[in-house]
Amino acid sequence: MGKFGKEFLKGLILSNPVFVLALGLCPVLAISTSIDNALGMTLAVLIVLIGSNIIIAAIRKYVPGITRIPIFIVIIATLVTVVNLIFHARFPDLYESLGIFLPLVVVNCIILGRAEAFASKNPILNSIADALGITVGFMLALLMISFIRQILGTGNLSVFGYDFGNLPVLGENPIVMFILPPGAFLIIGLLLALFRRTGVMKGE
Amino acid sequence: MPAKNALKNAFPMILLTIVVAIAVTLLTFTDRLTRDTIEAQEEQKIQDMLSEMFPDMSRYDFEDEIYTIYSDGDKLGYAFIAIGKGYGGDINILVGLEDETTIKGITIISQEETPGLGTRITESPFIDQFMGLNIEDVALSRDGGQIDAITSSTISSAAVVDAVRTTAMEKVKLLKDCE
Repeated sequence: MGKFGKEFLKGLILSNPVFVLALGLCPVLAISTSIDNALGMTLAVLIVLIGSNIIIAAIRKYVPGITRIPIFIVIIATLVTVVNLIFHARFPDLYESLGIFLPLVVVNCIILGRAEAFASKNPILNSIADALGITVGFMLALLMISFIRQILGTGNLSVFGYDFGNLPVLGENPIVMFILPPGAFLIIGLLLALFRRTGVMKGE
Repeated sequence: MPAKNALKNAFPMILLTIVVAIAVTLLTFTDRLTRDTIEAQEEQKIQDMLSEMFPDMSRYDFEDEIYTIYSDGDKLGYAFIAIGKGYGGDINILVGLEDETTIKGITIISQEETPGLGTRITESPFIDQFMGLNIEDVALSRDGGQIDAITSSTISSAAVVDAVRTTAMEKVKLLKDCE
């Protein structure tokens, strides 16, 4: 299946950005409160990560070692702002739903992490595969956490306005803590422990 | 050759400066290109919200931060923006007035409340409570008013209620002074 497939697949489990690399935990904590948010954030990460990986892979041979981090940061921040403005002007509906996630992507260290660890050392095509794989891995982790938090914290399962209805017992008395930050720490910690213990995901 | 060495040492700095210069140019350019469209959209958004609140609206005036809504020649009511201090940041609320004492309805324009909890201030069970209320009655039920706070989001609920009441009172005073 070639190098492209390999670079793509490693992002799903072997170097899952959340559970193995433990990157981008800050936005994961903040927005994993509902499945809608999880998918919105994934889309924002996908757009920015592909863009930044392509640009950084393209210029990797010209960037000197000592100033590479500031250069990457300037490139990523510019990219996010430009994407943000263009979306605001051209795709207002998408911007309505992505509006809060795009600016958050700037502080998402997955983007800088992949620029530094992968795109600055690999050709463009492989960097695209890496971006896709990491995004899908990010989405899987985020969906898992959001699903648990939404169910426990609101007792309700609704996705994009389509309501699957309230759950018995939990719907009446949701455990509100799981929607709040402590719930995020607990769920992420427990899932991490579970994956390490069962050997599904190992640290690199 | 010291001159050549100096140039070599300065190269990363020069490159960084060039990258920043390109970034700034790109940002300025995109901003110029998109600013008008974005402003027009923001205005369109307010207009859509107004016509949803006043379905018979044919035009509106905007003066002294108050929208006056007309249907042909008749005055339908007023609307204005109230800003509340929520749990996560500012809550911008569009408030419609039927006349100088009655709330027509409210719409949340933007908010940064806790997802799943405070964000329920945007949903109809909460905002529908404001429809047709006397401004005096816009207070949480624990304070003797007519609005039930959202369970476990008292701060967000209170922020909306306080902003609507205080701003409505200010604007009504302003309207009365004008007459």
